[in-house]
Amino acid sequence: MTNSSLQNLSAPRVSRRGFIAGATALTFVIGGAGVLSVSQARASGGNAALEPSIWLRIASDDTITIVFPSTEMGQGTSTALPLILAEELDADWDRVQVEQLDFDSREFGNPLFGGVLYTAGSTAVAGYFDPLRKAGAQARRVLTRAAAEHWSVPADSVTTGPSVVVHAESGRRMTYGEVAALPDVSLEVPAVTDEDLKPQSAYRLIGSDAPRRDIPAKSMGTEIYAIDVQVPGMVYAAVLRSPVEGETPVRVDEAQALAVPGVLQTVTLPDGIAVVAERLEAAFAGRDGLDVEWSEAAPARAFDSEADLADYAAIAADLSRSGATWHEAGDVNAVLASADRVVEADYLSDYAYHAQMEPMAVVASVDADGEGAEVWAGTQTQSWTMRTITEILGIEQERVRLHMMTMGGSFGRRTALTQEYVRDALLASQAVRRPVKVVWTREDDLKFGAFRPAAAQRLRAGLTADGRLAGWHHRVATPSVIAFFNPLRWGQVDPKDIISMRGSESKFYAIDHFLAEHVITERRARLAPWRAIGASYTSFAAEAFMDELSEAAGADPIAFRMPLLNDNPRGRHLLERVAEMANWGGARSGDTALGVSFAGYGDSMAAGIAEVAVDRESGQISVPRFWAAVDAGLLIAPNNAEAQVEGGIVFGLSSVLKERITTRGGEVEQNNYYDYEILRANEVPDIVIHLVDGDARPTGMGEVGTPMVAAAVANGFYALTGQRLRHMPFTRDRVLAALG
Amino acid sequence: MTEFVVNGEAVETDASPDTPLLWVLREHLGLTGTKFGCGAASCGACTVHVDGQATFSCVTPVEMVAGLEVTTIEGLSENGDHPVQRAWIAEQVPQCGYCQSGQIMRAAALLSENPSPSRNDIRETMSANLCRCGTYIRIFRAVERAAREA
Repeated sequence: MTNSSLQNLSAPRVSRRGFIAGATALTFVIGGAGVLSVSQARASGGNAALEPSIWLRIASDDTITIVFPSTEMGQGTSTALPLILAEELDADWDRVQVEQLDFDSREFGNPLFGGVLYTAGSTAVAGYFDPLRKAGAQARRVLTRAAAEHWSVPADSVTTGPSVVVHAESGRRMTYGEVAALPDVSLEVPAVTDEDLKPQSAYRLIGSDAPRRDIPAKSMGTEIYAIDVQVPGMVYAAVLRSPVEGETPVRVDEAQALAVPGVLQTVTLPDGIAVVAERLEAAFAGRDGLDVEWSEAAPARAFDSEADLADYAAIAADLSRSGATWHEAGDVNAVLASADRVVEADYLSDYAYHAQMEPMAVVASVDADGEGAEVWAGTQTQSWTMRTITEILGIEQERVRLHMMTMGGSFGRRTALTQEYVRDALLASQAVRRPVKVVWTREDDLKFGAFRPAAAQRLRAGLTADGRLAGWHHRVATPSVIAFFNPLRWGQVDPKDIISMRGSESKFYAIDHFLAEHVITERRARLAPWRAIGASYTSFAAEAFMDELSEAAGADPIAFRMPLLNDNPRGRHLLERVAEMANWGGARSGDTALGVSFAGYGDSMAAGIAEVAVDRESGQISVPRFWAAVDAGLLIAPNNAEAQVEGGIVFGLSSVLKERITTRGGEVEQNNYYDYEILRANEVPDIVIHLVDGDARPTGMGEVGTPMVAAAVANGFYALTGQRLRHMPFTRDRVLAALG
Repeated sequence: MTEFVVNGEAVETDASPDTPLLWVLREHLGLTGTKFGCGAASCGACTVHVDGQATFSCVTPVEMVAGLEVTTIEGLSENGDHPVQRAWIAEQVPQCGYCQSGQIMRAAALLSENPSPSRNDIRETMSANLCRCGTYIRIFRAVERAAREA
């Protein structure tokens, strides 16, 4: 039935086997402090070439292979990170191959995550910028030193061009590959200091808009995601999961499932039942045929998003219940007690779903002896995926062949310490002794999603008689995300939950008397990091509240913020710039109005202005235009940076206008994209972005676009209608209620 | 047995007649460029051409394409150089890329019907396909470029 000539899967990225074999090469082991060791491997082989922690290889055929230690979910760092190393190496970018890191080696984990291989929080470029540059410079030094020795000339007389060493005085030159093949290259690790690194003015790759490496395959349908993997002998599994967290099957009738042609068997999982079949459609049909009676004893039966958020709101409003201090300065209570006026407001936000386009899918093949496995998975962390595999099977990493696949989006979904989709494929493969592909339907992905937490926030601020901000109190009542998705990590950071709280520190403003506190509430849903983490709701509350304060003070919203940015000239510049871009304060028709917001993510800052319109009959808000000015330091890849900011704005707009997960009786009520809607093409604004290309350290682009959006829309709605929207998302019913 | 044509080649499948075309393409024929997103005609990741018409393969039973010509992303052009694909690369559209096969097939069908679509035509037509990375504006620019350069 299959016409094999139609098989047209592209070759996967360079395999490690290919990396090890081949020509004579210089190889470099790299760590957080730069190059750790250098080896020269001969074509005939040699143990050095088998060293697993090789990150850079310069071969005699002039190919340069750079390992990509993060994972790719669309953010483009599989181009940006190797580019940074190639810049300092002075490599010919066209001869650089990128190899995915496919195992857990903490030697080159992200310094910002304590060495864990974890791709999240817009940290890949920020975390690896220094070690990659240093390693590139050291590798370049190994090459110039070897050439100088070979030519018997002073080391400092040898310069480099794209993948060539040059002795200008004598006109001699060699390619990097020729140097790698020289006999007896000195393998001592050279010391380099910051002064040895290229000045920004000498960059020819960083800032150059070298095209992303992954885009051609993604435009031809040849990129392979985990869901696309097919291996010989593979069978399929669909998992029927308990509709309520914590329930277990008390009675299973599988007769109808097993009667489906092609169904092989069922496998009992910790929280569900897998139906394994020769074909995917048979696995789904078999699952539909399962008749299961579930226990009805789990506490999660009581989860109810509406009632639970009301509880959170009562907790946020109860000032006698203090929280874990997230950020504090001065004495906010004293200042509020003596303020001329105190302004208070409550903000609510519902659960949100990642809605990444590729549902969870994994292929796993457990070895016949049960002591090893091959796994194809797309996740944001080699470390925790490897941990899931080794813990579930009770095996050693050395026996695991892991393939970190490019992801069809993630936005925080594939980050957990234990990854149930990986677990299920392993257990099913172990049971049936064949490779198994587990595919989640969209309904599975939604019903068993892990969400941005619902949150209730109380904001309080004191104003002086002359309308200045005297003190700021931000209470966030929401569960700990980390405690659920990574209990190991929670043991280290409890009670400081950056996932739940980020943004509430309002760090870009100087506010002398400040308190942000986390009132940690009971968890009432599965939770996960979600693009921009806490800042997607804390910055909504903070910046919408800032608008309320400016009104209370009788000030223009931008003018009100400016004194708070006296110590932050980069931030001031962004607000001034975005005001100019949007013609803030200019004459308007009255059909639309502008709202401003100033937020960011980590050390990346963004000022945004939304143009807001509303259909007063239906309650539908639209945003025809959005302007943003963004400063995330040095731009490694400006074109991709713009794409990330644009995508972040669309994500934020989708969230604030549409996205809402509700639960009742412990079950998620939404099913698919038809009832969990995300922004479509005809709803996207014209977006104008100004990126500051500074000389400051790069601080991350993946999330900075998102946090500013919700408040900009809320503030624009207020400017248009005189009504405040304080519950995200701004669904039609909420808008109509606000309009009275 | 259901017989149809995929990317110019005659194929036959013993899949049950109600099997979604998407599973036959992806899992039986190995044409994994076409993606599964929702199974409900809501996201467009599965978009292919059936006799030239953009079609959600996830809700199309394979019996419906008996005797018809199906084109997937793999068959859109010989060398991945259809004007829409070239424009996608020139405008650096994809981020995660998962929806982009469907977007490209939708755009190619639009341009074959309407070689000079307005920005509004593009916005409305492309609204059948979701992109969670938010590449919509680049998609608009790429469709306009493809129309210009075709």
